[in-house]
Amino acid sequence: MKIDHVTWSILQEALAVYRDSPRAFGWLRSHVERFTEPVRVAVAGQPGIGKSTLANALIGESFAPAPTFSWYRNGSAAHAQVFSGGRFAEAPVVRRGGRMAVDAGSWDTVDRVVVDWPSRSLRDFVLIDTPASAAPEQIFADADAVVYLMRHLKDDDLQFLRSAHDHPIARVAAVNTIGVLARADEIGGGRIDALSSAKQIARRYRRDVQVQPLCQNVVACAGLIAVAARTMREDEFQALRALAALGREELEDHLLSADRFVGTAFPLDLDPAVRQGLLERFGLFGVRLCCALVRQGFDTTVKLTGQLVQRSGLGELRDSIAIHLVERREVLKARSALLALDVVLRMEPRPGARKLMADLERAVASAHDFRELRLVAALQGGRTKLPPELETEAMRLVGAEGTTSLARLGFDYDATPAEQRSVLLDALARWQAQATDPHLGGDHRRAAQIVVRSCEGLLTGLI
Amino acid sequence: MAPPWLDVLDETIGACATHRRPDLEARLREKRAQQVDPKLRVLVIGESKQGKSQLVNALINAPVCAVGDDITTTVPTFVQHSETPSAALVRNASSRRSIMNAPTERVAVPIEQVTKQVSAIHSGELVRAEIGIPRALLTSGLVLIDTPGIGDTRSANTASTFATVLQADAVLMVSDATGELTSAELALLKKVMAACPNVTVVITKTDLCPQWRTVVERNRSHLARAGIPAKLLPVSATLRLRAAKTGDQVLNTESGFPDLLACLQRDIVASADLLARRAVSVVASSVISQLVTPLREELTTHDSSHTAATISTLQEAQRRVDELRRRSARWQNVLNDEMADLVSDVEYDLRDRTRKILREVDKTFDEADPAQGWEQFEQWLEDNLNDAATTNFAWLMERAEWVAEKVARNFPVYREDILPGSILPDDVLDPVGKLDKPKIEPFTITQKVFTGLRGSYGGVLMFGLVTSLAGMPLINVISLGAGALFGGKTIKDESDARLKRRQAAAKAAAQRHVDDFFIKFSKDCRDAGRYIQRSLRNHFASLAEEMQETLLESARSAKRAVQDDASQRDQRQREARRELDKLVTLYKRVQALGGGAAMELSA
Repeated sequence: MKIDHVTWSILQEALAVYRDSPRAFGWLRSHVERFTEPVRVAVAGQPGIGKSTLANALIGESFAPAPTFSWYRNGSAAHAQVFSGGRFAEAPVVRRGGRMAVDAGSWDTVDRVVVDWPSRSLRDFVLIDTPASAAPEQIFADADAVVYLMRHLKDDDLQFLRSAHDHPIARVAAVNTIGVLARADEIGGGRIDALSSAKQIARRYRRDVQVQPLCQNVVACAGLIAVAARTMREDEFQALRALAALGREELEDHLLSADRFVGTAFPLDLDPAVRQGLLERFGLFGVRLCCALVRQGFDTTVKLTGQLVQRSGLGELRDSIAIHLVERREVLKARSALLALDVVLRMEPRPGARKLMADLERAVASAHDFRELRLVAALQGGRTKLPPELETEAMRLVGAEGTTSLARLGFDYDATPAEQRSVLLDALARWQAQATDPHLGGDHRRAAQIVVRSCEGLLTGLI
Repeated sequence: MAPPWLDVLDETIGACATHRRPDLEARLREKRAQQVDPKLRVLVIGESKQGKSQLVNALINAPVCAVGDDITTTVPTFVQHSETPSAALVRNASSRRSIMNAPTERVAVPIEQVTKQVSAIHSGELVRAEIGIPRALLTSGLVLIDTPGIGDTRSANTASTFATVLQADAVLMVSDATGELTSAELALLKKVMAACPNVTVVITKTDLCPQWRTVVERNRSHLARAGIPAKLLPVSATLRLRAAKTGDQVLNTESGFPDLLACLQRDIVASADLLARRAVSVVASSVISQLVTPLREELTTHDSSHTAATISTLQEAQRRVDELRRRSARWQNVLNDEMADLVSDVEYDLRDRTRKILREVDKTFDEADPAQGWEQFEQWLEDNLNDAATTNFAWLMERAEWVAEKVARNFPVYREDILPGSILPDDVLDPVGKLDKPKIEPFTITQKVFTGLRGSYGGVLMFGLVTSLAGMPLINVISLGAGALFGGKTIKDESDARLKRRQAAAKAAAQRHVDDFFIKFSKDCRDAGRYIQRSLRNHFASLAEEMQETLLESARSAKRAVQDDASQRDQRQREARRELDKLVTLYKRVQALGGGAAMELSA
């Protein structure tokens, strides 16, 4: 049985057992509801790292940052709810100076704001922007997965990430974090190749032994540029094109520093307020990059924004969220629910719950999905070593590149079930041989066993 | 150009020679040598990726420190003046990481390649890089020290940076304009302030951030709120380097570097001049008052021309010499006793700290399996040992100062320069070798099978024999079952035993490492203690000698006065008065140097 089914049945059973305790029942009910919702992805990080900017980039709209938890989910119309204590009120979403803002009204302490926003990007997940003061516990309790922003990895960052794995169940299933090397445009002092350099650094962190067990993936992302690209206005594009029309030498002196760019002696008839606006939206690096790109021939809004989104690393981040979080929705939801169940069973132990406790333990211990994800982490981290060609295949089969059967089997076209079946049987036989070969090391065989189990799961899906 | 204090010092040395006081002369010469070649260490610190190396490069307009997008600086780089550009890498001489003081070797490298070489060599071997470069800024003895970022997980340990802070004359704390000062940075600033009060906060990368002015303002209020009286200067290394390339003066001004350089000149180099002047003034005035005393004695005896008074002065002088001799035994005893106490206390403290760590280790490995999480454990141990060492050493320094004060109190007379300027030994706290990973033998399947078989053999045989009495064959269901049971138990026992063995090995490795650390560090501490004792003893002994000499001289002149006849007496008196006048003028100049109100010259 799949982990989500198992978890679902334990949840239902628990609801029955705790029917008479209003607190536990309410808590379990909220988790039953949460189980069917899309994945909740929180954006977390040290203060001032650009959490709201990155959230805006993922949504594709510029929201004014709020000093509280802001939830963004897909909705048919722009609309918001403000929660405070146990009460909540409807609130309008208004445009204020080029940014969207929630009119919180007269409430002085707001626990969270839930914004419904029509956006394709929010179709698959609910995004939670966390305030600077949020405690890690609360973030990890609210969210199913976390996108963690850091600049260069510091001890504080490691501490935050480790605190996520304090719980025994969380440790077994350390599968819900993506690290983001944020503000990638500031690396290397805003040199024109800063972003590719940032991507290299992200690659190094991906292989770092300290980061490996904590993050499923590390990507570099320049949030400022991404959000500017996704919300670029025509007048901004015209201004950028006018800038790029100047010679590179002519412009170079004025792009040296932010002060020079908005200074009075400018060779172009461009209002200082416009320049100031460009600087705020794109940053100095963004302006430099846009000018270079327009000169290279990305001279329409569509071409330019496409290029900017790709370069900013937002595309990679979205792919990463899709592969590691959205596609693993069942696993992440099951993980959150199991953690919640554990809380109830510990807080209100009772005789009828003993079987639940055992079921919970069995579910955690036997969940193949967690094992798959841990194998992925172990292979990436070099804790488990396989020969290179086997490693690539193993990673693919356990779903590191996507969990559909096509992705697992490495088809890049829509193969017929029969085709898939023959490839799968072939792989299964090979891995079974690996799993039972006594010449190989224990780690190797254990990894092979997990792959075999994944293949068997696929096979039942294909029949 | 020779600074004014040098002339005064030289004149005082001349006066010592005229008055035949080679002991005082030697002391002044020593002071002169110390002051003429002062190394002013300016430490550039900050968290990683704030632009420390680029700041140093921009200060001297040369790419001598490696800069890069990822963590780049892993060892400190010393940049100082030299006539021709030169560079050298200092690394551990032996490739084997020894625990005792590892000798270091200096390898000269071409200056163009130094940044490449620094990154190429494994950071464990490299101790530091040294750059010599002809720059006007550095001629005053300024040494810029670029350090690895603090708080980064990849750089060499932070503790060594703190050891360097203790010896720095000034600190430039670097933080970039892309964010405000974090609480970690403020805590670091406070810690640094305690060791070296001359701190300037440099906000870098102002070219990149449109809102750098707001950031600077916010940082100012952060500093004010935290009660840190440090100056704050915004700069842009990019603009400065470009200005250097194009020779654009306006751009240079825009980069903020002229302000920073002026600040370095004014506050650090100039304040070094002030410090030197004060030091010279203190030492010279004490010397002059010693020169004046015998002259005064002579003049008073002449003035009174009273033989009885002269004789009583003579007796008084002799009595004071005796007194000095008697009491000098006392301060020596105090010094010896206190230093012995100090060394044993410090050693006990260190022993206590390391034992606490060891107990923790034992407790951990009673439960945990060392095959897992060895890296974290290693890091933890290293951090804790570093912590213990730093605290212990700071305590040693504190106690040493206290001992110096106590000895000074027991010294016969009080003088302004009675406390020695510095008793800190250089270059303490070398790293100890790496913790050896214990051999972790895995329990392989083959071994398990073999062990299982070995155990089951006994079971099969034992029960087979018993059941064969009941007429069953040797191999039957019961004996096989018993065999399986015995086999399983043996495997379990064996894997338990192996875990125990691993834990024991890990404990032993940790114990060994902590022992090594203790031996090495306690040796360092004892050396430091002995160094301090020696320098204190020398300092106070030379003071005592000087005083004795002064007293003897006045006794001698009093004796001469009794013996001399009238005409000679007049002649001598005139001479003495002239000399005294000269010394008094010199003394006034010395006092003016110190900047304080001119004190009256007392006998």
